[in-house]
Amino acid sequence: MILSNKDERRLTIGGRTLAILCAAAGLSACVQVDTPDKPIEINLNINIRQEVVVRLQQDAQQLIQNNPGVF
Amino acid sequence: MTRKMKLFFAGAALGLATVAGTSAAYAFQDAAAELRATGQVGEQADGYLGVVNSAPANIRSQVESINIQRRAAYTRLAQSRNATIEEVAAATACELFAHRVGPGQYYRLPDGVWRQRNGNEPVPRPSHCG
Repeated sequence: MILSNKDERRLTIGGRTLAILCAAAGLSACVQVDTPDKPIEINLNINIRQEVVVRLQQDAQQLIQNNPGVF
Repeated sequence: MTRKMKLFFAGAALGLATVAGTSAAYAFQDAAAELRATGQVGEQADGYLGVVNSAPANIRSQVESINIQRRAAYTRLAQSRNATIEEVAAATACELFAHRVGPGQYYRLPDGVWRQRNGNEPVPRPSHCG
Protein backbone atom coordinates (compact mmCIF):
# COMPACT_ATOMS: atom_id res chain seq x y z
CA MET A 1 0.00 0.00 0.00
CA ILE A 2 1.44 3.33 -1.00
CA LEU A 3 0.88 5.93 1.64
CA SER A 4 1.19 9.63 0.97
CA ASN A 5 3.34 11.62 3.34
CA LYS A 6 0.26 13.15 4.96
CA ASP A 7 -1.41 9.80 5.51
CA GLU A 8 1.74 8.35 6.94
CA ARG A 9 1.99 11.13 9.47
CA ARG A 10 -1.57 10.56 10.63
CA LEU A 11 -0.96 6.88 11.20
CA THR A 12 2.27 7.29 13.14
CA ILE A 13 2.17 8.34 16.75
CA GLY A 14 2.89 12.06 16.72
CA GLY A 15 5.13 13.84 19.14
CA ARG A 16 2.31 15.22 21.27
CA THR A 17 0.62 11.82 21.58
CA LEU A 18 3.88 10.25 22.57
CA ALA A 19 4.50 12.89 25.20
CA ILE A 20 1.06 12.29 26.71
CA LEU A 21 1.56 8.54 26.63
CA CYS A 22 4.95 8.94 28.28
CA ALA A 23 3.56 11.13 31.03
CA ALA A 24 0.50 8.93 31.53
CA ALA A 25 2.53 5.76 31.82
CA GLY A 26 4.71 7.40 34.41
CA LEU A 27 7.79 6.97 32.28
CA SER A 28 9.91 9.81 33.44
CA ALA A 29 12.85 8.98 31.24
CA CYS A 30 10.91 9.30 27.98
CA VAL A 31 12.67 11.27 25.33
CA GLN A 32 10.32 13.11 23.03
CA VAL A 33 11.34 12.80 19.41
CA ASP A 34 9.44 15.07 17.09
CA THR A 35 9.76 14.87 13.36
CA PRO A 36 9.93 18.39 11.98
CA ASP A 37 7.28 19.28 9.47
CA LYS A 38 9.48 21.65 7.55
CA PRO A 39 12.93 20.98 6.12
CA ILE A 40 15.67 22.31 8.37
CA GLU A 41 16.92 25.63 7.04
CA ILE A 42 20.42 26.63 7.94
CA ASN A 43 20.73 30.37 7.95
CA LEU A 44 24.07 31.70 9.07
CA ASN A 45 23.06 35.32 8.76
CA ILE A 46 20.14 35.41 11.14
CA ASN A 47 21.09 38.84 12.46
CA ILE A 48 21.49 40.52 9.11
CA ARG A 49 18.71 42.52 7.52
CA GLN A 50 19.44 42.95 3.85
CA GLU A 51 17.87 46.40 3.63
CA VAL A 52 20.18 47.57 6.39
CA VAL A 53 23.19 46.22 4.54
CA VAL A 54 22.15 48.11 1.40
CA ARG A 55 21.60 51.27 3.43
CA LEU A 56 25.09 50.97 4.91
CA GLN A 57 26.84 50.69 1.59
CA GLN A 58 28.07 54.30 1.50
CA ASP A 59 29.22 54.20 5.10
CA ALA A 60 31.06 50.97 4.45
CA GLN A 61 32.88 52.52 1.50
CA GLN A 62 33.92 55.46 3.66
CA LEU A 63 35.03 53.17 6.44
CA ILE A 64 37.38 51.41 4.05
CA GLN A 65 38.81 54.68 2.74
CA ASN A 66 39.23 56.26 6.17
CA ASN A 67 41.11 53.31 7.67
CA PRO A 68 43.97 52.45 5.31
CA GLY A 69 45.88 49.32 6.19
CA VAL A 70 42.99 47.86 8.16
CA PHE A 71 40.70 47.21 5.22
CA MET B 1 80.36 55.48 6.59
CA THR B 2 81.20 59.08 5.84
CA ARG B 3 79.71 61.92 7.83
CA LYS B 4 77.59 62.94 4.84
CA MET B 5 76.13 59.46 4.52
CA LYS B 6 75.36 59.37 8.23
CA LEU B 7 73.56 62.69 7.96
CA PHE B 8 71.64 61.44 4.95
CA PHE B 9 70.45 58.32 6.70
CA ALA B 10 69.55 60.27 9.80
CA GLY B 11 67.45 62.63 7.73
CA ALA B 12 65.78 59.80 5.87
CA ALA B 13 64.95 58.00 9.09
CA LEU B 14 63.45 61.17 10.54
CA GLY B 15 61.36 61.67 7.43
CA LEU B 16 60.11 58.11 7.46
CA ALA B 17 59.25 58.34 11.15
CA THR B 18 57.21 61.47 10.51
CA VAL B 19 55.26 59.85 7.71
CA ALA B 20 54.63 56.70 9.67
CA GLY B 21 53.62 58.67 12.73
CA THR B 22 50.94 60.56 10.89
CA SER B 23 49.25 57.44 9.59
CA ALA B 24 45.90 57.34 11.35
CA ALA B 25 45.66 53.57 11.69
CA TYR B 26 49.27 53.19 12.81
CA ALA B 27 49.46 50.23 10.48
CA PHE B 28 52.85 49.74 8.93
CA GLN B 29 52.23 50.28 5.23
CA ASP B 30 49.06 48.50 4.13
CA ALA B 31 48.96 45.56 6.50
CA ALA B 32 45.69 44.10 5.28
CA ALA B 33 46.71 44.25 1.63
CA GLU B 34 50.06 42.66 2.44
CA LEU B 35 48.39 39.84 4.31
CA ARG B 36 46.02 39.16 1.43
CA ALA B 37 48.99 39.11 -0.91
CA THR B 38 50.76 36.37 1.07
CA GLY B 39 48.18 33.84 -0.11
CA GLN B 40 47.71 32.64 3.45
CA VAL B 41 45.04 35.13 4.43
CA GLY B 42 41.71 35.91 2.81
CA GLU B 43 38.63 38.07 3.15
CA GLN B 44 35.53 36.56 4.71
CA ALA B 45 31.91 37.37 4.00
CA ASP B 46 31.50 38.31 7.66
CA GLY B 47 33.83 41.27 7.19
CA TYR B 48 36.97 39.88 8.81
CA LEU B 49 40.22 38.39 7.64
CA GLY B 50 40.72 34.66 7.95
CA VAL B 51 43.70 32.33 7.72
CA VAL B 52 43.31 30.07 4.70
CA ASN B 53 44.95 26.82 5.78
CA SER B 54 47.72 27.33 8.24
CA ALA B 55 50.05 30.21 8.74
CA PRO B 56 52.96 31.00 11.01
CA ALA B 57 52.31 32.67 14.31
CA ASN B 58 53.31 36.15 13.18
CA ILE B 59 50.79 36.07 10.34
CA ARG B 60 48.06 34.83 12.65
CA SER B 61 48.75 37.53 15.19
CA GLN B 62 48.66 40.21 12.50
CA VAL B 63 45.31 38.87 11.31
CA GLU B 64 44.00 39.00 14.87
CA SER B 65 45.25 42.52 15.34
CA ILE B 66 43.58 43.73 12.16
CA ASN B 67 40.32 41.97 13.01
CA ILE B 68 40.29 43.67 16.38
CA GLN B 69 40.72 47.04 14.68
CA ARG B 70 37.98 46.19 12.21
CA ARG B 71 35.60 45.21 14.94
CA ALA B 72 36.26 48.48 16.72
CA ALA B 73 35.47 50.40 13.53
CA TYR B 74 32.32 48.34 12.96
CA THR B 75 31.18 48.95 16.51
CA ARG B 76 31.58 52.72 16.20
CA LEU B 77 29.68 52.80 12.93
CA ALA B 78 26.95 50.50 14.20
CA GLN B 79 26.28 52.75 17.15
CA SER B 80 26.01 55.82 14.99
CA ARG B 81 23.78 54.16 12.39
CA ASN B 82 21.47 52.10 14.58
CA ALA B 83 22.55 48.81 13.10
CA THR B 84 24.08 45.67 14.54
CA ILE B 85 27.82 45.12 14.41
CA GLU B 86 27.20 42.06 12.24
CA GLU B 87 25.28 44.12 9.71
CA VAL B 88 27.99 46.77 9.49
CA ALA B 89 30.62 44.06 9.13
CA ALA B 90 28.61 42.25 6.47
CA ALA B 91 28.03 45.47 4.53
CA THR B 92 31.76 46.21 4.62
CA ALA B 93 32.49 42.69 3.42
CA CYS B 94 30.43 43.42 0.30
CA GLU B 95 32.69 46.36 -0.48
CA LEU B 96 35.86 44.48 0.39
CA PHE B 97 34.89 41.60 -1.90
CA ALA B 98 34.21 44.03 -4.70
CA HIS B 99 37.27 46.26 -4.35
CA ARG B 100 39.97 44.75 -2.18
CA VAL B 101 40.42 41.13 -3.14
CA GLY B 102 43.10 41.07 -5.82
CA PRO B 103 43.54 38.51 -8.60
CA GLY B 104 44.40 35.10 -7.18
CA GLN B 105 43.68 36.22 -3.64
CA TYR B 106 41.45 34.25 -1.29
CA TYR B 107 37.91 34.93 -0.19
CA ARG B 108 35.31 32.94 1.70
CA LEU B 109 31.54 33.10 1.25
CA PRO B 110 29.13 31.98 4.01
CA ASP B 111 29.47 28.39 2.76
CA GLY B 112 32.88 28.41 4.42
CA VAL B 113 34.87 27.31 1.36
CA TRP B 114 38.05 29.23 0.53
CA ARG B 115 38.23 30.23 -3.11
CA GLN B 116 40.66 32.26 -5.17
CA ARG B 117 39.65 35.17 -7.31
CA ASN B 118 39.99 34.03 -10.91
CA GLY B 119 42.21 36.65 -12.53
CA ASN B 120 40.26 39.85 -13.01
CA GLU B 121 36.84 38.22 -12.83
CA PRO B 122 34.77 39.93 -10.14
CA VAL B 123 34.46 38.10 -6.85
CA PRO B 124 30.97 36.60 -6.37
CA ARG B 125 28.74 38.95 -4.39
CA PRO B 126 27.57 37.43 -1.08
CA SER B 127 23.81 36.91 -1.04
CA HIS B 128 23.25 39.36 1.82
CA CYS B 129 24.69 42.20 -0.24
CA GLY B 130 21.57 42.78 -2.25
